[in-house]
Amino acid sequence: MRRNSPLLPYLFVLPMVGLLTFVFGLSLVRLVEFSFKQVRGIDGPWIGLRNYDLVLNQPLFWEAVGHNLQLFLVIPVMVVIALALALLLYERLPGWRIHRTILFLPYILAIPIIAVVMKQMFQFSGPVNTVLSALSLDFLVLDWIGSADVALWTVMGLILWRETALGVILFLSRLMALDETLIEAARLDGAKWRHRAWYVLIPQMRGVIEFFVVISAITLLSAVFAYVYVIGGGRGGPGTATMVIELYIFNALIRTSLPGVAAAVSVMLFLVSLLLVWALFRVRRRGAD
Amino acid sequence: MTTPARLPTRFDRRRFLQGGAGLGALGLTGGLAGRALAQTPALDMWWWGEQELPGLQAYLDRAIAAFADAQITPMLQDTAVVISQFQTAAAAGSPPDLQYLWNGIYHMESVWLGYLAPLSDLMDPGVLAASNHGPLSRFDGKTWRMGWYPLPMPWYYNKDLFDRAGLNADAPPATWDELMAACEALKTAGVEPFGGGVQDGYWAEWYLTHALSQNLDTVGDAVNLFIGDLDFREPRYHQHWVKLAELRDAGFLNKDMASLELYPGIDLCVNGQLGICSSIGTRLPADATATGGRIGCMTLPVFGQGALAGRPVVDMQGLGISAGSEAPDVAARFLEFLNAPEQLASFWEATGWIPAASGFDDSVIADASVKDVWTRWGKADNRITNITNLMPGQFYEQAAIPTGQNIITAGMSGEEAGDLAARVAQEWRNFNPDLVEKYQAWAAELSAG
Repeated sequence: MRRNSPLLPYLFVLPMVGLLTFVFGLSLVRLVEFSFKQVRGIDGPWIGLRNYDLVLNQPLFWEAVGHNLQLFLVIPVMVVIALALALLLYERLPGWRIHRTILFLPYILAIPIIAVVMKQMFQFSGPVNTVLSALSLDFLVLDWIGSADVALWTVMGLILWRETALGVILFLSRLMALDETLIEAARLDGAKWRHRAWYVLIPQMRGVIEFFVVISAITLLSAVFAYVYVIGGGRGGPGTATMVIELYIFNALIRTSLPGVAAAVSVMLFLVSLLLVWALFRVRRRGAD
Repeated sequence: MTTPARLPTRFDRRRFLQGGAGLGALGLTGGLAGRALAQTPALDMWWWGEQELPGLQAYLDRAIAAFADAQITPMLQDTAVVISQFQTAAAAGSPPDLQYLWNGIYHMESVWLGYLAPLSDLMDPGVLAASNHGPLSRFDGKTWRMGWYPLPMPWYYNKDLFDRAGLNADAPPATWDELMAACEALKTAGVEPFGGGVQDGYWAEWYLTHALSQNLDTVGDAVNLFIGDLDFREPRYHQHWVKLAELRDAGFLNKDMASLELYPGIDLCVNGQLGICSSIGTRLPADATATGGRIGCMTLPVFGQGALAGRPVVDMQGLGISAGSEAPDVAARFLEFLNAPEQLASFWEATGWIPAASGFDDSVIADASVKDVWTRWGKADNRITNITNLMPGQFYEQAAIPTGQNIITAGMSGEEAGDLAARVAQEWRNFNPDLVEKYQAWAAELSAG
């Protein structure tokens, strides 16, 4: 093959593509196959779309979907907070490097670790309520993890605290890469901080904000298992108040011996995640245009 | 600059003979050792239980070392995968030889899938019967599981708190009315009367263990509720949830019950912060010691009309042999070995708890509280098994636990809990049509006694 052949780059990536196809592609094929079977152990009879039918007609599944959608409410809050913090850090406030480290710390800690700590803190007789009572803020004393009305909001608070850190770092990296002359010009023209942020900085960060939104959506759809597993007592509780799709899949596979049902929900989750990735690329292409 | 030492190049007859003799001796020794190893079967044993019975691992290590007929490799399993890991391995054709088995449906599903060997065909019948495996280990006329250690399930009450509330600590409440009166007295004395911790769900399961059975006449009735021959919407089959809501509405449940897990909830009772809670016998030796014997044990006060009402509940953990084991006879010999008197004594020594087998010399139990629970639960003629072991996993996860939690935390009524349970039971039948038939056969066997 000639060195300038257009096929050459593809040849270089072929081994990795082959490996990925083997590792993920095969699993995916088996997953789809399982979703059409009544699996007991590692195989079972073909039952067509019955698993999908059962799942889509089960109230618990839709409750889990609803909870995932409720988690999406965190996204705009995360974006605003992360943006504000990144802009403040960009202004190089005194000790900004230490602040940056502190802000990013939650993100490098494993989710189960922070969730276990938070769970202890938010117990009804735990430190948070004790402090609130001591400050005479009894109206804020809630059963944070024990109340079916509050538990999912507690999970959202935990997610907000941890996942915002990623946004701060992403946004700050983008800010550091911006052309300073534009900002300097705005400053010379007398633009105040909020004007510089709103009219100069944020418009240039559109791409990274969109990226963060889509990544967060995928996270909240398919990567919150550790949060709800710990906070929800391992079962999406109290009751089914913190049941999400991932936990539904886990329960179907591990606890109720229904691998076919778990596979059907996994396939649906995979397709929705693909849709979100497609949306990301579409948005980015439109931005590039 | 150094030069490497020259290697000997001469290879005479003498060296050849020396080398040959050496190789021959090595081969002979290796062959004999290999043969000896080949004659000692290697068994895999997957087990669980250290977390509920500390010392079990030490005991097992000792027992395995003392068993000369096989080389056994134990593997402690994680709670979440005890069943799924075994079933997947069995389906893939590489199961362990020996498997830890929870009671009832937790191993019966593996029986139905053909993953377990019938112990009644492998073990000495006398030894197997003396292991007290319980009725939920039998199906199709065979026994599939050996009893290993029992779990009496008493309700704790704190005698000091009873004294403080002016209650008779030697006569705990026996009826529901007496319970409500006792709770009222405790509350008036400034003590949180009843509860524990339901955050991880197990309290809701244990409550069903004691309360659902109160309106059942046979253990098989519980299965009939899942297969649809009985209905949770009938008042007698959700009365237990109505009673739980009664306790909630009267303000008798501890205020942090929803955010505490099971064991920290029991600790409240042991530490003198809660009057009455659901517990498990394996905790009793430590709890009795910690309180100087001020923990009393009782059954859940009676409200129901069923034949099982008010009877002591004893669950049983066990062991079985995989259908895919290559040496089931040797595995069976190991299970028999675990029932030998010296092994039972070793179990007691390592765990401080009582093994299941009748051959255990229980005169060694010195603690009065433990002796009492062993007499009134472990050896009681009227003891019953834990009926939650009959629940399909789907019902357990989507009804048994959520109903209890929702009644306590979300204001659910007993009737609503009954509706939810009936709906989930129907969903389970829809999701598992292949298992319903097995359950029907099981219910018939259990109801027949």
